[in-house]
Amino acid sequence: MRMRSGHFVMADEGWPGCAKSLKGVILDMCGVLYDSGEGDGVAIPGSIEAVRRLKESDLQLRFCTNETQATREKFVAKLQRLGFDISASEVFPPAPAAIAVLKDRSLRPHLLVHDGLLPEFDGVDKTNPNCVIIGDAAEYFSYQNLNEAFRVLIGLEKPVLFSLGQGKYYKETDGLKLDVGVYMKALEYACDLKAEVIGKPSPTFFQSVLNDMGLQSHEALMIGDDLLNDVGGAQHCGMKGVQVRTGKYRPSDERHPTVMADGTVDNLAQAVELILNQRRR
Amino acid sequence: MAFSMAGRRALKAVLIDLSGTLHVEDMAVPGAQEALNRLRQASVAVKFVTNTTKESKRNLLERLQHLNFDLQENEIFTSLSAARSLLEQKQHRPLLLVEDSALEDFTGIDTSEPNAVVIGLAPDHFNYQTLNKAFRMIVDGAPLIAIHKARYYRRKDGLALGPGPFVTGLEYATDCRATVVGKPEKTFFAQALSDLGCSPSEAVMIGDDARDDVGGAQNAGMLGILVRTGKYREGDENKISPPPHLTCDSFPDAVEHILQNLL
Repeated sequence: MRMRSGHFVMADEGWPGCAKSLKGVILDMCGVLYDSGEGDGVAIPGSIEAVRRLKESDLQLRFCTNETQATREKFVAKLQRLGFDISASEVFPPAPAAIAVLKDRSLRPHLLVHDGLLPEFDGVDKTNPNCVIIGDAAEYFSYQNLNEAFRVLIGLEKPVLFSLGQGKYYKETDGLKLDVGVYMKALEYACDLKAEVIGKPSPTFFQSVLNDMGLQSHEALMIGDDLLNDVGGAQHCGMKGVQVRTGKYRPSDERHPTVMADGTVDNLAQAVELILNQRRR
Repeated sequence: MAFSMAGRRALKAVLIDLSGTLHVEDMAVPGAQEALNRLRQASVAVKFVTNTTKESKRNLLERLQHLNFDLQENEIFTSLSAARSLLEQKQHRPLLLVEDSALEDFTGIDTSEPNAVVIGLAPDHFNYQTLNKAFRMIVDGAPLIAIHKARYYRRKDGLALGPGPFVTGLEYATDCRATVVGKPEKTFFAQALSDLGCSPSEAVMIGDDARDDVGGAQNAGMLGILVRTGKYREGDENKISPPPHLTCDSFPDAVEHILQNLL
């Protein structure tokens, strides 16, 4: 028996039994709900139904993503076109969090982001930049654009680099692609500095989602395809983390030296089935 | 076999740095040409070593011959040569992300169906599509070979990213470590000596860069002589451990020391 804020609770139970005492679920999006690629991408089989089942249950539901190729508005519209019952207020991407940080610290950014994300920064003062923000710029990660960002940083007395996420790669329908983390490391090496990560797996980011749900970390479960940033990041905050075998999952993830998922399932549909089964008992 | 100092065999080879040691920009170090000739009479093998990745051996040769240095193209060993040597040894077929002007030094290497990635200073290749291609190859098992890992370099229009940042990024993406072949890596010195048939303990390096020339050579088991020309700055000899076997004014003094003490 363990005491937590005056209540008696059962000793910490592992997956899937822990689903009994859950109050909320946080879902990663790319690689869990859908695979990105040509056009809108493709919904992962069973995921649309899985989201519907979660919404019909008594669990709170939020979506946490490091998506930075489009504004939240456009991104949510895409998911709706694919058939998902989802609204903007339930979705937590990094850009809005970054804008809050800029305001808080009176910073003006040089942006190295995908063209599709630029509108998110329309109201932000970008003149005479005193920091750099990089996002998943994909093909906009040209040598020239990277050099420009590098020159801004190397010219600042106190260089500040924000990276919207730190992922190594993600899966699109035509194969694996390099993610923002790679370019974050490149600029860190070039400028001999450490970037500040906004988005998963930053604890501040996860906490903002939990705050919105009004839950403590031990009451929530994160489901994602990225072992380090989704599962590891969530566990670091005190949540349970389950990995799906879709998206960027690779078999070697199940033998990772430092992160061990609380559970590994074939896909979101199977995760939800297991969760709801536990709660029916 | 004569032993000139405890545990060390007589010298068989001398490695000589180029820029800063034999010449500084377009001027030869005074007395360097004659010193080189004297060294050649002493029946030691001589090799000229440099980290350049943009100039082919032919370009370097032309510049040095123009300054009246007596040397042959096959005596020049660059970090590109080190990469080539490694590729031949392991029989890799490379995806060459190097400057066009450097491709010349890889003539004859099979590049069809590449199974290794070689990265040099090549801004034209550091785009998203090409890096993705390199990434997927490494994930599938291709070794990553870096000519060197310079952070940045100076261009006419300002500072520009070197290969180092991109190599670091790929290492992060793939959880792999690159094999770096330029100075001061051991591989560089080992490859430079490999066709001379002598071990590092039978060789000495002369250079102006305490860390990359002397430190690197000594770390590979060679003796190092630091010259006070080129990029040398007061106190450099104290920045490496162990300190240089010898610190002297310039290349002719280094040759004098070798002829009198190491043969």
